[in-house]
Amino acid sequence: MNRPAADTTGRPLARSQRPVAGGPRLPRPGLAGAGLAILLGFGLLAASAPLVAPYDPGAYSGEPLARPSRAHPLGTNDVGHDILSELIYGARVSLMVGLVAGGLTTALAAAVGTAAGYLRGWSDAVLMRIIDFLMAIPHLPLMLLLAAYAGPSLLNVILVIVLLGWMVPARVVRAQTLVVRGEAYVEAARALGAGPLAIMGRHILPGLGPILVSVFVAQAARAVSLEAGLAFLGLGDPTLKSWGLMLRQALSYRGIYFTPHWLWWLLPPGLCVSLLVLGITLIGVGLEGRLDPRLRRGGKEANG
Amino acid sequence: MKSPLVRVALYAFTVWAVLTFNFAVPRLMPGDPLAYLYDQESAFYLPDEGLRSRLAAYYGLDRPPLQQYVHYLRNVLTGNFGWSVRFNLPVSELIASRLPWTLLLTVPSLVLATAITVVAGTEAAWRRGTVTDYALVVGFTLIRTMPVFFLGILAVLIFAVHLRLFPLSGAITPFRTWASPLEQALDILHHWALPAAVLTVESVGARLLLMRNSVVLVLAEPYIQTARAKGLGELAIRYRHAVPNAVLPLVTTFSAQLGMAVAGTVFVETVFAYPGMGLLLFQAVSARDYPVLEAGFLILSAGVLLGNLLADLAYGRLDPRVKRP
Repeated sequence: MNRPAADTTGRPLARSQRPVAGGPRLPRPGLAGAGLAILLGFGLLAASAPLVAPYDPGAYSGEPLARPSRAHPLGTNDVGHDILSELIYGARVSLMVGLVAGGLTTALAAAVGTAAGYLRGWSDAVLMRIIDFLMAIPHLPLMLLLAAYAGPSLLNVILVIVLLGWMVPARVVRAQTLVVRGEAYVEAARALGAGPLAIMGRHILPGLGPILVSVFVAQAARAVSLEAGLAFLGLGDPTLKSWGLMLRQALSYRGIYFTPHWLWWLLPPGLCVSLLVLGITLIGVGLEGRLDPRLRRGGKEANG
Repeated sequence: MKSPLVRVALYAFTVWAVLTFNFAVPRLMPGDPLAYLYDQESAFYLPDEGLRSRLAAYYGLDRPPLQQYVHYLRNVLTGNFGWSVRFNLPVSELIASRLPWTLLLTVPSLVLATAITVVAGTEAAWRRGTVTDYALVVGFTLIRTMPVFFLGILAVLIFAVHLRLFPLSGAITPFRTWASPLEQALDILHHWALPAAVLTVESVGARLLLMRNSVVLVLAEPYIQTARAKGLGELAIRYRHAVPNAVLPLVTTFSAQLGMAVAGTVFVETVFAYPGMGLLLFQAVSARDYPVLEAGFLILSAGVLLGNLLADLAYGRLDPRVKRP
């Protein structure tokens, strides 16, 4: 079926006025493959950083503000750190934050969503009001406030990202839980005397697998982007070389725009963040068609 | 549908919750708001114990929590947000000078972004599967993967540094006198254009796909076929029959969009050194200027809630299905 990559609704689609006669197609498996390749590339770099990076990213490695050369393929920054080494070690921070913050957000969303959707009643009502409240306020100023109080560390950055990321996924999980809890096998488990925790853990959660995977991918992308942003604003660990911190340092060098240094100092970290987020997003787009239960069921739901 | 009065009451409750939250955060954190003065490791350590207790008394921190809470509410309601550590000015004064710039940046770019999203989303859906559709969808998806501050940096590099079309930073030319108010307005507009464009593009990228998919679904509805059968023109089918029904997801995600615009403005103002609330928050973070951070969070929350309330009240008018009295 020729379905455009961007269309993720899974319902019967309108016929366009102009037929698709030979228009470009975006093959989904190709997208996921490309995303996976990007992610693996960064993963390899991060894992082998001590072997691949020519210098210690936090150590004086040569003349400050050196232009790219054989010794420093991307030159050095204003305090003589090797920029290529900084970039390679930065992949570690971004991937770690994506993995940990994405995972924790998904876990929190799964716990809240299944509890609200399965227990219903007042616990559902309370959880939904908390979500409404957290959704109604702007997140970045709150993140700045929390991170400023908690102090600059990678753990605090991860916690702030998790605490303000679980709400929308929790709603998605809750909606799907409402569907799953009506299934015959859940009724059967209840009739056999299984407690709520056992039902949620053993019967409902497995049914949510596909949704949780796509939530995790989306949240990992969000976490990578946000970590770069928070580090750029000065809330990250100032001793930990991350791409956001590199951008911050490059931009705080006066006149960076008017020297050629922007080319190897300012652009690479920004491109790395964008490329990693793109890679994760592509995996998400590729997986969507395969994992979203609504898509698998095709148009049935929309006709009902 | 709840009555407007109930909805206003719900928003008032949320504002109260934000206020209480803002009061609680510094007090729930380990230590107390002056912990950084007591901590021997901290750069602000105050060795004199007498001075420390006088400071605690000055901020009312030696009083029982309930009394502190009442004191806090009274201060906020009278516009007393404390004193900025970094700027050595009353926080309310700082906000009064910064908020207009942020409004100038965010409100027009939100309006512009919504208009562009509706038109581009509709045209992409109408031409589903064509090069135009893919170019729009792929282009904005790529832009979305870039952090907004990097988008801003790229805009500066291309349009300000290399093409020299716009100034690098700031909201007005410093130390300049203008011959006429018109010239001053033009100067402001010249500084405004690039950061506003970055915010707009970012905001379009966030919603274009949503609008496009929504229009694709609506175009499959029987009433579109009816409209076509009646012999209506293509433009009328798209913009009189499809768009009003397809635009609802944009309205329901408006709240999230406002929050994103606030985040966007913090980054964009930082990159462009644009003297609004976002830059103020950025400056406050690096100086750990807590009174400014707290007031900034309060004011921006109040602004977003007000925007939500307006959108909520407008929702009934926008949805063609809820027009019944």
